[in-house]
Amino acid sequence: MTPFYFLFRKECHRFSKVLVQTILTPLISSTLYLLIFGVSIGSQIQGNGSGDVNGTAKYLGFLIPGLMMMGLMNNSFQNSSSSLVSSKFTGDIEDLGVVPLTRNNIIWALSLASVVRGSVVSLMTLIAGEIFYYVQYQEFLSIAHPFWMLYFMLVAGLVFGQMGMMTAFWAKSFDQLSAVTTFVILPLTYLGGVFISIHQLHPIWQMISLANPLLYFINGLRYSVLGSSDVSLTSSAVLAMAALLVMYFLAHRLFSRITFTRW
Amino acid sequence: MSESPLIIDQVRKTYQVKSKAEVEALKGVSFDVKPGEIFGLLGPNGAGKTSLISIITTLERPSSGDVRVFGESVLKNPTSTKKKVGIVPQEIVASGFFNLEELLTYHSGYYGLPNNQERINELLERLSLKPHAHKMMRQLSGGMRRRMMIAKALVHRPKILLLDEPTAGVDVELRNQLWSFVRQLQQEGVSVVLTTHYLQEAEALCDRVGIINKGELKYVGPTKEIIQKLTQKKVEVLLQSGKSVHFLMSPNQDLGQVLQANQISLELIHDIKTSEGSLEEAFVKVLHT
Repeated sequence: MTPFYFLFRKECHRFSKVLVQTILTPLISSTLYLLIFGVSIGSQIQGNGSGDVNGTAKYLGFLIPGLMMMGLMNNSFQNSSSSLVSSKFTGDIEDLGVVPLTRNNIIWALSLASVVRGSVVSLMTLIAGEIFYYVQYQEFLSIAHPFWMLYFMLVAGLVFGQMGMMTAFWAKSFDQLSAVTTFVILPLTYLGGVFISIHQLHPIWQMISLANPLLYFINGLRYSVLGSSDVSLTSSAVLAMAALLVMYFLAHRLFSRITFTRW
Repeated sequence: MSESPLIIDQVRKTYQVKSKAEVEALKGVSFDVKPGEIFGLLGPNGAGKTSLISIITTLERPSSGDVRVFGESVLKNPTSTKKKVGIVPQEIVASGFFNLEELLTYHSGYYGLPNNQERINELLERLSLKPHAHKMMRQLSGGMRRRMMIAKALVHRPKILLLDEPTAGVDVELRNQLWSFVRQLQQEGVSVVLTTHYLQEAEALCDRVGIINKGELKYVGPTKEIIQKLTQKKVEVLLQSGKSVHFLMSPNQDLGQVLQANQISLELIHDIKTSEGSLEEAFVKVLHT
C-alpha cells in the first residue's frame, strides 16, 4: 500500500501547489455560470420543467448540481491527464515505469487523486451556489440524498480520472490532449443536461441525449441534491458503475501496451 | 558461490519502424554481472546499450530472452526486481513541481520506504546537495541535476546501479567526483553497470567490459585482458647517441627478443619507456573484426 499511498499523495500535493490554476480558475467559471445563468437568466425561467416533474423547482437549484458535476468531470479529467502529460514533457514519466508501482497502484492512485481535485471544485461550486441560493431565496438548498451525492462524485471522478490517464498515455502532443477535451468532453458535458432539462428538447434530441453517458452522471448528482432528475436513479447509478468498470478494464489493458517514455 | 546480481540471457529486441521492416536492436545478447563489480557496456551510438538498460528496468519488454536480477526474472517478478535496481537515465529529468527533498521522499515511498529521511539526508550530504534540498530541479545547474538523478537512483539502497551515460556533457571536476562516488559504491558492494562513450572512463573504472555493436555482443571480459590481447605495447628506446627508436610489441613478445631482433645491445641504451595499449584501441579493433 505504501507505493500507492505515496503516488496518491504526490498527485494531490501536485495540484495543491498550483491552486489558482486547479481550484480557483474552475471555481470562478462556475461562479460566473451561477451568476449569469442561475441568478440573472434563471429568475425568469424558474419552475420551467427543470428536472422537477411538478414544475416547482427553482432554476438556480437545478443548475447547481449540473455545475457541480461539470466541474468534477472536467477537473478529474484534467488532473490525471495534465499530470501525465507534463511528466512526459519533463521526463519523469520514466520514474513510473522503473519504480515498483503496480499497474493497479498507478490506475487507482491517479484516479483517486483526480476524485479529490474534482470533488474540491465540486464542493466549492456547491458552497458558491448555496450563497447565491440563499441571497435569492433566503433559504439554503438542502441535499436530498447525501449518500448518492458521494456515490456519484466518487464514481464520476474515478471514471474521468481514468479517462484522462488513458488520453494522456495515448496523446503524442498537447494538441491531441486538448482535442479530446474540446471535441469530446466539452460538447458531451454541455449536451448532457447541465443547463437544461432534456424534457425541454424535441423528442428526437431527447433520444439522442439518452445515448450521452454524461447525462447519467449529471442527472445522478442532480437527483442526489434535488431528489428528482430527468432519468431514473437506477439507470444513473447502474450506468455510472458500468462506465467505471469499462474504463478500468480499458485502463488495465492499455497498461500492458504502453511504454513510459518521454516526448 | 554467490548468485550473479544480473544475468542477461539471450535477449533479443526488435522494433517495428512504422510500415518498414523490423529493426533488430538486440540480437541475442548474453552476459552476467558479478557481485560488486563495475561492468562497462560499451558501443557506438545505436548499438543497443540503452535498449538493454530499458529492458533491465522493465521500461521495455524483450522480444525474446530474459533478464534475471539475483535469480528473479524481470518479466515474471518485475515489482521485486525493480526494488534491487537503481537507474540513472541518460537524459536529465526536470521534475517541475517539487523540491529535491520532496522528490526523494516520494521516490522512497514508491519503494515502500515511508520513513527514509536518514538515507535522504545521507545522499544529499554525500552528493553535496544538502544546501539545495529545498530548491526545484529547474533551479539547479546541470551538474547538480545529474547528482540529484544519482541520489534518486540510490534512495532505496539498490544492489545494482545502472548508469546510462552518466558523464555525458559534464565538466572534468564533476566527472572525477562521479568516478570517486562510483568507486565508493563498489566498495559498499553495489554492482554497477555503466554505459559510456568515454573509453578512458571505462578503462579507469570498469573491472570488465562488454562491447556491443549493431545489437551483437562482440566481446565480454576483463578490461585489462582485452587491452593486453588486442593492443600492442609501445616501446621507446632512448639511445646513448641521443637518438630514440620506437617499437610496437605484441603481448607474446619479450622486450629482450625485440631488442635483439633490432640489434640493440644493452650498452647502447640510455633509457626505455613502455606504455600499454588503450581500451580505445582494443575497442576499435573489436568493432572492425
